[in-house]
Amino acid sequence: MNIAEPLLAAIEEFNKFPGIGRKTAQRLALFLLKRNEHEVKNFVNSILDLKSKLHFCGDCFNLATEDKCEVCLSPKRDRSIICVVEEVSDVISIEKSNEFNGLYHVLGGVLNPLSGVHQDDLKIKELIKRASNGETKELILAVNPDTEGETTSLYIAKNVKHLGIKVTRIARGIPIGGDLEFADEATVGRAVLGRIEI
Amino acid sequence: MTLKNLSLKNFRIHKKSDITFSNNLNFIVGGNGQGKTSILEAIYIMCTTKNFKASSDSELTRFGGNEFEIDGKFEDLTEDIIRIYFNKSDNKRYYFQNGKQLNRNAEIIGKFPIVLLTPEDHSLTQGYPAERRKFVDSVICQASELYLSSLLDYNKTLRQRSNLLFRLNENYSSSLIDQLEAWDEKLINTGTELIRFRMKFVLEFEKYVEESFRFIVDDSEKPVIKYDYLNSYSGDSIEEMFKKLLIEKKDEEIRRRSNLVGPHRDDFIFLINENELKIFGSQGQHKTFQVALRFAQYFYLKDKIGRLPIFLLDDVFGELDSKRAIRISQYLKQVGQAFITITDFANFSFLHKEEDDAKLLITNGEVSYA
Repeated sequence: MNIAEPLLAAIEEFNKFPGIGRKTAQRLALFLLKRNEHEVKNFVNSILDLKSKLHFCGDCFNLATEDKCEVCLSPKRDRSIICVVEEVSDVISIEKSNEFNGLYHVLGGVLNPLSGVHQDDLKIKELIKRASNGETKELILAVNPDTEGETTSLYIAKNVKHLGIKVTRIARGIPIGGDLEFADEATVGRAVLGRIEI
Repeated sequence: MTLKNLSLKNFRIHKKSDITFSNNLNFIVGGNGQGKTSILEAIYIMCTTKNFKASSDSELTRFGGNEFEIDGKFEDLTEDIIRIYFNKSDNKRYYFQNGKQLNRNAEIIGKFPIVLLTPEDHSLTQGYPAERRKFVDSVICQASELYLSSLLDYNKTLRQRSNLLFRLNENYSSSLIDQLEAWDEKLINTGTELIRFRMKFVLEFEKYVEESFRFIVDDSEKPVIKYDYLNSYSGDSIEEMFKKLLIEKKDEEIRRRSNLVGPHRDDFIFLINENELKIFGSQGQHKTFQVALRFAQYFYLKDKIGRLPIFLLDDVFGELDSKRAIRISQYLKQVGQAFITITDFANFSFLHKEEDDAKLLITNGEVSYA
């Protein structure tokens, strides 16, 4: 194989991205090669800014440009409710819904002994400390409803029990606008078991 | 649902067989090693994508051949043509439904319900508890996706928890114990769900087994299935029992680095007239029970999914006295389409072939109709 080394290096770097295979990596690298220098510089700077200008909020571990994130700094947010999520991407999803006006707490993952992730690798201690500040009245656990997510919820619930605050878990079931006929049987089954009175 | 035609190319001993089946009973008659069971094997692969004999696909390929092909035409409300192609050089199976290639085998699984009775079923009543759990789990899974998802969730919890027990064994710490308690709770939640499902299932399924027994034997023998869960521990509720047992066994679990409490260790006890089959049963009673379990599975699935499964019976008459064999052959008239292999040297004059049944003679992989 005789490919110029700088190109090969760029391909390898793109190949490390999630969802990017060898061929796509090559397309992306060749695409950049055709851009003019100014455009490429802008692209590189935006990537560098990700690292230099963004860091994690000292309170909730959401992305922030200052010491604290915009949610935590906002005077309009309800400081008595904390919504606990796995990743920053979950904050973005819930923010887009415009249905939540409280604060967040990003765990940075879930308990997963097989992958070597334990409670000390997550921001759980910080959450318990925040929850015991006297201001917090409710924790909403919005982690994914899979085996590890549910266990993480149970772990948090167990460890904040002594604080006497309300702990809830987000509902699960049929997606809005989704037809019953298109949901898989297990989801429908659970939705029926978890029905609510109207 | 019925299988209309089957075509086998280079499959086991079959070089090229094109078979048309009856919608009712299909008796497949031949000597040993002539290719009777291979027909059942091919049907089973089409319905489940799994081999029921533990053999590799290369072994399924006819000696000297490089590839095999199974083609089947199913008829339900609509017609479905399933084609399976395997070749040795890719060592891969390709699935086609109505000429369209399927990307995942999972698209076939569950589409064509099937029940299989084989001589290997002796392990259902005589083998380890794991064999009985496998049977019960597979029947409930065929009828309930919710059970399947809980079972997968539970198995994942077991894997995570055993990893944690392993770590605790290596390096005991209060922080790991703190985490273990959360996994305990998860295990109890999901495990209790499974136990409740199984309790409900046994209650329902027992009636089907009773019904089958009435046909095969008579009213003198009454079968009972007892679900033995959580080491028959007694307590107020399942959750309570589960919790108490986990506390009791914690040290042993850490020492042995494995999950010692939960539905993955349950058993199902079979009894005839209050006598435990495993201890007191005769060979004939064992065989009867195995046959009754499969018939019960057939009628249970028929009621649950509202369609007729395909019934495969491999050499069922081999180990039964003629009285029971006659009764089973009459019982078979109540099922939909069935495929029954029979060795030709025995006397099966009691088998009455109705007009719309089919009798296939198999000699050295060649099929003829009788």
